Amino acid sequence: MRNTLKVQRAILDLTQEDLAKKIGVSRQTINSIEKNRYVPSTVLALKLSTLFKIPVNAFFSLEDGD
Amino acid sequence: MNKFQLGMHYKKVGFIVTIASFVLLIAIKYIDNPEWLKPFLHGILLIGLLLISVSKEKIEDEYIDSLRSQSYRLAFILAIVYALVQPIVNFAVSYVLQQDNEYESFNYFQVLFFMLIVQLLFFWKLKKQH
Repeated sequence: MRNTLKVQRAILDLTQEDLAKKIGVSRQTINSIEKNRYVPSTVLALKLSTLFKIPVNAFFSLEDGD
Repeated sequence: MNKFQLGMHYKKVGFIVTIASFVLLIAIKYIDNPEWLKPFLHGILLIGLLLISVSKEKIEDEYIDSLRSQSYRLAFILAIVYALVQPIVNFAVSYVLQQDNEYESFNYFQVLFFMLIVQLLFFWKLKKQH
């Protein structure tokens, strides 16, 4: 699964640490999602969606083979 | 899973218990000790490792939870492989060395110790990688 978390984060001018604090996870979690090493739960995806004020589909998308 | 977790400070307690029992296990090799002492210290050592294993991280989020699950899965599988292979290795070694030792099976301590150590090391490695 691809994501544009880094772009969305840049739009809001947030560091990984800032974003992590806002949604209650560790900085490593944000880093791992951005590097596509970890696919977050629906709960976390919806928290990000609320924060970014855009639908989940706008920053998460399926890749071939998903 | 959260129901089986202890607070972060239990990790420190776990380390103290583990190190103390490990030091005592080495120390009793050089002194006379009652028969029950070694199995007792083995038990304490396992409790110490278990405390480290089940205590929470500073930030215990879903990602850490997934790393923890991976480490438990690997430890479980490797412990079974260890339990299956170890007696064969023991037997082969004593056969090659032509020792008259009776066929000794492993004890529960070896397997549980191996399982907990693999879990902790793999968990730390995963955390460092990310």
